[in-house]
Amino acid sequence: MAGRLRRREFVKWTGAGALGVATGATFSSRAYGATKKEVPKGPIKIAAVSFLTGAAAAPFGIPGDNTFKMMADIYNQQGGILGRKIELKSYDEAGGADAQVKLARKLIMEDKVDVILGYISSGDCKAVLPLSDELGALIVAYDCGSHELLEGEKSPFKYPKYTLGFRSKAHLGIDNIGLALMIKKYLPNVKKIAGINPDYAWGRESWRVFEVAMKKLFPGIEVAVTLWPALGATDYTAHITTLMNSGADIVHSSLWGGDAVTFTKQAIGMGLFQKTRMAYSRGEPYPQELGADFPEDQLICCAGTHYFLYPPHDKWPLNKWFVEEYHKRYNKYPTYPCYHAYQAFAVYKAAVEKAASLVGGWPTPEEIAAAMKGLAIETPSGYLHIDQDHNGREDVLVGFTKKVEGYPFPILDPKRMEVFPAHMVNAPAGVRTEDWIQSWKV
Amino acid sequence: MVLYILNGLYFGAFLFLTSLGLTIILGVMGILNLAHGSLFALGAFMAAWTIGLLATGPPSTALILAIICSMALTAAVGFLLERSLIKPIIRRPLEYQLLITFGALLLMEDVIKLVWGGEARYASAPFDSMGRANLLGLEYPWYFVFVMALTALAGAAVWVVMARTRAGIMLRAIAMDRDMAEAMGIPIKRLSSLAFMLGASMAGLAGALMVPTSPALLGIGMEPLIMAFIVVVIGGMGSLKGAVVGSLLVGQARSFGVGFLPELEMPILFLIAVLILIGRPQGMFGKG
Amino acid sequence: MAGLATKRKKTGALVLLIIGFVLLPQVIPSYQLVLLESGLCFAILGLGFNLLLRYTGLLSFGHGAYFAAGAYAVGMIGRYAPELYRMEVLIPAAIVFSAILAAIFGFVCVRHTRIFFSILTLALSMLVFATLVKLYYVTGGSDGIRVGIPPVLGHAFKGMRRPQFLEGFYYYFLLGWVIVSVAFMYLLVRSPFGKAIQAVRDNEIRAEMIGIRVKRFRWWAFLVSGAYAGLAGGLWSFVNGHVTPELAHWVFSGEVVYMTLLGGFKSFAGPIVGAIVFTFLKLYAVSGTEYWMLIIGITLIGIVLLLPGGLVGGLVILLERAKARAPWRS
Repeated sequence: MAGRLRRREFVKWTGAGALGVATGATFSSRAYGATKKEVPKGPIKIAAVSFLTGAAAAPFGIPGDNTFKMMADIYNQQGGILGRKIELKSYDEAGGADAQVKLARKLIMEDKVDVILGYISSGDCKAVLPLSDELGALIVAYDCGSHELLEGEKSPFKYPKYTLGFRSKAHLGIDNIGLALMIKKYLPNVKKIAGINPDYAWGRESWRVFEVAMKKLFPGIEVAVTLWPALGATDYTAHITTLMNSGADIVHSSLWGGDAVTFTKQAIGMGLFQKTRMAYSRGEPYPQELGADFPEDQLICCAGTHYFLYPPHDKWPLNKWFVEEYHKRYNKYPTYPCYHAYQAFAVYKAAVEKAASLVGGWPTPEEIAAAMKGLAIETPSGYLHIDQDHNGREDVLVGFTKKVEGYPFPILDPKRMEVFPAHMVNAPAGVRTEDWIQSWKV
Repeated sequence: MVLYILNGLYFGAFLFLTSLGLTIILGVMGILNLAHGSLFALGAFMAAWTIGLLATGPPSTALILAIICSMALTAAVGFLLERSLIKPIIRRPLEYQLLITFGALLLMEDVIKLVWGGEARYASAPFDSMGRANLLGLEYPWYFVFVMALTALAGAAVWVVMARTRAGIMLRAIAMDRDMAEAMGIPIKRLSSLAFMLGASMAGLAGALMVPTSPALLGIGMEPLIMAFIVVVIGGMGSLKGAVVGSLLVGQARSFGVGFLPELEMPILFLIAVLILIGRPQGMFGKG
Repeated sequence: MAGLATKRKKTGALVLLIIGFVLLPQVIPSYQLVLLESGLCFAILGLGFNLLLRYTGLLSFGHGAYFAAGAYAVGMIGRYAPELYRMEVLIPAAIVFSAILAAIFGFVCVRHTRIFFSILTLALSMLVFATLVKLYYVTGGSDGIRVGIPPVLGHAFKGMRRPQFLEGFYYYFLLGWVIVSVAFMYLLVRSPFGKAIQAVRDNEIRAEMIGIRVKRFRWWAFLVSGAYAGLAGGLWSFVNGHVTPELAHWVFSGEVVYMTLLGGFKSFAGPIVGAIVFTFLKLYAVSGTEYWMLIIGITLIGIVLLLPGGLVGGLVILLERAKARAPWRS
């Protein structure tokens, strides 16, 4: 009697339990369904902003834009994001910070894009990223390096600076600290340094971090001269003469894009490289741009570990795939703007998918942002981690140029290449990079 | 030290060519040609394109041809501009004149974009092929020497035209007193076109000479315009001597400025221009 | 009798216009409203500029310098004196700062006329531009300075996003300033001062002979004109949220001349119409095609060659023609 009862009770309780669970599930999913819309059928509107005209177009903007288009195509072939097709439109980053503010405002307020993936110039980033919170839309900065973009005035500072603004890469700290560490290891007898940097946030901040790091690692080092040509200047002859006269062992430069190409060409013609060595904090694209003319034995930093030969293709298939796919479509090797573009897009996609798995339906910008924070994804260059301050954290690769058989331009000398791990070159969240460097025990 | 002076001369060469053009137009026609920088850009793009086309041949020939083509093109465009835009408004108030050349600037910038696209155009073969000379123990690119020599030649040619030929003398007469010149039967219309074409071709020459060292880019004409403007202000509107002295001065100021006061190069140049405008608005050699 | 009727008609039209503007936020979308606010700021700028051009006969090709002075006054206070960052401080600061600059520059400029005057104003504004660009650590250089939403009379717009701020309180605030500026300028040009500067414009020598101190009056006109530009710059900085040295570059000053001529500089309302039309024209050209400079350049050349009276001038001609054809309609 007791056994049958128990079984009946068991069935009753199991049944009730099952019913309860089923009801609960229905109610809870209806509760979610009630507050969250289903995934809309329409396409995702993504705006990609890069330099499509001007000196920065060929080495930076166009490769970056190409990668955005390439990845949009590939993701769409895989079914889009959460089944929604991606509609990517490219916009020109030309015109200066003010024009970009107006463009971003139009994209968000009038065109109502889902996200802006963009910005190469630190000047544009610093002007546009605040619009993310101001106008309530996600902006992922993909290539700019200004560390002050997301750092506060003093250490420690509150972070993240913007709820909806991200940078899907590490900032210029890694480039300049990486260079300083490299110089310490391979050129420990350096006595005098000089700098030629473009006169805006990027140039000013790059030099500052490099100077602080060098002074920390080489106490007593002398700064011969610092030059500040305007961004986009095309005549460096006076500057080159000054550098050649300065007696510097190493000249630091964060010149990039067309400026770096023009400067290097003029410097080659004037004989700068016979007198001194250059350390380009973002030099990776230029050997390919200048071809065989690019001088050997110059220091090149890769803005991360973005280099078509690193990580080695046999060890990291994603890089092999990325290089081959890009080369197939565009007949050139991808340079670091390409890797950065991949990162921004991949981070967005991963964050959307992660947020959707938590809240169901199509997540709001705030939900995507919450998912983007702390995200770690695989990229062709290795792992990318988006930290709590919305900055990426990456390792950095630094090398010396060398002519090697089989390539039409100098590549990085495999015998003198260093990869500095992220914790050595990225300040922790909440601490200003300069303060962090000062705190090192050398 | 010598290198700074040489660089100042090199930079001054470009200043001279562009300011010469600007000052001729200003002196003879009383018009501040805001589209002058666009003519410079036109010369640069034309030269870059020509050098690119002739990439298989010897670079020096390519350069000479490029210079000729650029000067011809800019002279032609100058003629077009003068006939279609300047002539109708020559008697109208100043604001219309400035605005119409401003409109021409905007127009030409986009025409350049339409024809040659948005990317930077490099044409460094002539620069690289000339190599470096050994002057007084210093290495200096032969190309820079070439630029300075050619500019001096161009300047001398213009001086000869202005001082010795009938056309030149008539141009100077118009510059001195337009109404009187007209009363004396000088063909103002034809000579105005000539002045504009001469000025434009100088800008084109400057653009062509720039291209082997610096890329032709959209907007490349803006800085030469402003620099030429400063030189004309300092040297005096309508004065050839002023263009020479002014460009020498500004060229040296920039070269030494970059070397010794890198933080202040641009504002100092404008400050000098402003002081001259305040103290002696006609410049060093201009008429009142 | 007819005069009074026209006056009443004009006042009626004006009242309707103001009511229209007041109701506008309900009708047009947020983005267009922000654009309009930009245009209204430029209208104030154009009004000040035209005081010099039409009424004093002086073409300033460097008016951006005073606009920049006002805009940067706001930006710099935000950056260096955040405790003073209040609307009641910022607007007067913009006006005062730009007036001082105009006073200094004007003192130098009014000694010259015609092309020398224009060239001098151009050089001075480029000096301001170059200084703003080069003093990176003070002014933020070419990257510019961000301008946040200030508290007004103690009320801080906490948590409000800029579009809401601009759609709400700020629109009416700006509209109020526009009305005040227009009214003040209207009275000014009809005042004895206004008559005096027009006399100077028409015949400098004769004006001097009847006792008008030419340079002094020109200087006052320059000062007021600069103050208007500074007010416009300060007001605009909140709309754009960002100020850059380009505001002092001669190209922007050229756009000011363009706006005024587009509307028609010979009429009082011309600069206002021109400023608003130009703002929309430029933005739609820029977003519509990558060859927007071609469009602006062609319209500019077209205005100079075909419609020198500007839009208002053209409208007046059309109205006169209509009246000529139908004289029985008043």
